Amino acid sequence: MNYNFQYGVVWDNFGALMEGAWLTFQLGVFAFAGGILIGLLCASIKTYGPWPLRLLVDTYVVFITNTPALIQIYFLYFGLPELGVRWSNEACVLIGLVLNAGAYLTMILRAGFLSVRKNELEAGLTLGFSVVQQIRYIIVPHIAKAVYPALANFFIVVLVMGTSVGALIGVDELTGQAINLSSINYRWLEYFSVVAVIYVVLTFVASVGLALLGRWAFRVRVRIF
Amino acid sequence: MPHLAVNNLRAKYGALEVLKGVSFSIEKGQVVALVGPSGSGKSTVLRTLVGLTPVTGGNVTIHDDKIDYASSGSLRRARDQMAIVFQQYNLFQNMRIIDNVTVAPVKIKKRPKDEARADAERLLAMVGLADKLNAFPDQLSGGQQQRVAIARALALHPEILLLDEVTSALDPELVNEVLDSIRQLAKDGMTMILVSHEMAFVREVADKVVFMDGGSVVEEGLPEVLFDAPKTDRAREFFGKILRH
Ligand SMILES: Nc1ncnc2c1ncn2[C@@H]1O[C@H](COP(=O)(O)OP(=O)(O)O)[C@@H](O)[C@H]1O
Ligand SMILES: [Mg+2]
Repeated sequence: MNYNFQYGVVWDNFGALMEGAWLTFQLGVFAFAGGILIGLLCASIKTYGPWPLRLLVDTYVVFITNTPALIQIYFLYFGLPELGVRWSNEACVLIGLVLNAGAYLTMILRAGFLSVRKNELEAGLTLGFSVVQQIRYIIVPHIAKAVYPALANFFIVVLVMGTSVGALIGVDELTGQAINLSSINYRWLEYFSVVAVIYVVLTFVASVGLALLGRWAFRVRVRIF
Repeated sequence: MPHLAVNNLRAKYGALEVLKGVSFSIEKGQVVALVGPSGSGKSTVLRTLVGLTPVTGGNVTIHDDKIDYASSGSLRRARDQMAIVFQQYNLFQNMRIIDNVTVAPVKIKKRPKDEARADAERLLAMVGLADKLNAFPDQLSGGQQQRVAIARALALHPEILLLDEVTSALDPELVNEVLDSIRQLAKDGMTMILVSHEMAFVREVADKVVFMDGGSVVEEGLPEVLFDAPKTDRAREFFGKILRH
């Protein structure tokens, strides 16, 4: 093997890679946050809603979880313009990731809804809790504690695997930025080894942060890696 | 005027009529024990009193005031006056012991935090748990959790305490610590309706025993009368069976 590693060009463009990493992080956070809102809504419908709405939620979950995220984003980016709807490539990635995460989070949160113990709700009722107070003090903490480890894992999945799909429709997140830069001077190995390290650092920081948050807020132990 | 009166109370689960016209009353400061075979409707009576199971007939009065279970205001007042302790404790698993006891006074009754906390510490000390304030329910034994549940019920200063087989999920060696707490409450003059299979304990603390079978009251009276010289065959058979061993 006589490949001559030259990391100089990578360091020269390190700022651009960091911009990509920052965009990756933002996409991951917003996709996850949007997915949580959809997931909460759909999981409460699945638990407490009438059957036509439950059927709608089931259709959405089955449709999304059985097709690749890339296809969903291609549909938004290449398909919708045919129908006269034209979103920017960043918007397509973000909306696609939100819809995708929403379906998986519906399934994760649904398990949390099922973990709420009826007898605690009855205790709450007889102590005089209103419906809103039951949700605030009993239901949400239960769900949070039950599903927190799964949520933390899923955030990492969105952060690393989800966002990198953006590269394929020209969004300059970390992977996209690395592709752009390496195709200028063909230092693929150098760029992608550095990018791999940045991804690892990103997920490590996110994992530690989430583990500490979980311990502090919900008394749950989350594995780091 | 009785403190609480149950008049011809009826309740159903689906099509199954579980209470077929139950009547009894309790004076202020009295302890009434509901006894009877499993499935006779004892828990349902208590659940109906606090509005967890809907009333389908008859009524309940507190100080001659009829509770309207369909009206949220009336139901709230009823729940203010009564507190229930369940067989399975039903503590809030996500809250520390102290928060289990203070959450309702602070969030629902809007009592000042430090006042509610002092009150909770006093109640937890009374049930022998002064050193467990910051533990979580899953770190306590069943008997300890049940005593927390009693403290939580008392923190709202109810006038009437309902206890549903509070010792039957406990290991035998933990039963006495819970019974001691109830004994103390009886001495302090708390009005209590308790469902129990601990006949020796019932004989000791109850002012009246109400014997239920098949969703109706079969016989009621002083514990010594009901246990030793019941008038009905059904009661004679039941007490004969469980008091003999
Ligand atoms: N949630 C429920 N749904 C349907 N039937 C019930 C329910 N709870 C209790 N029952 C039935 O109601 C009857 C009375 O139950 P319960 O009041 O719990 O009796 P006890 O407390 O005296 O053992 C029993 O036949 C029981 O099977
Ligand atoms: Mg029962």
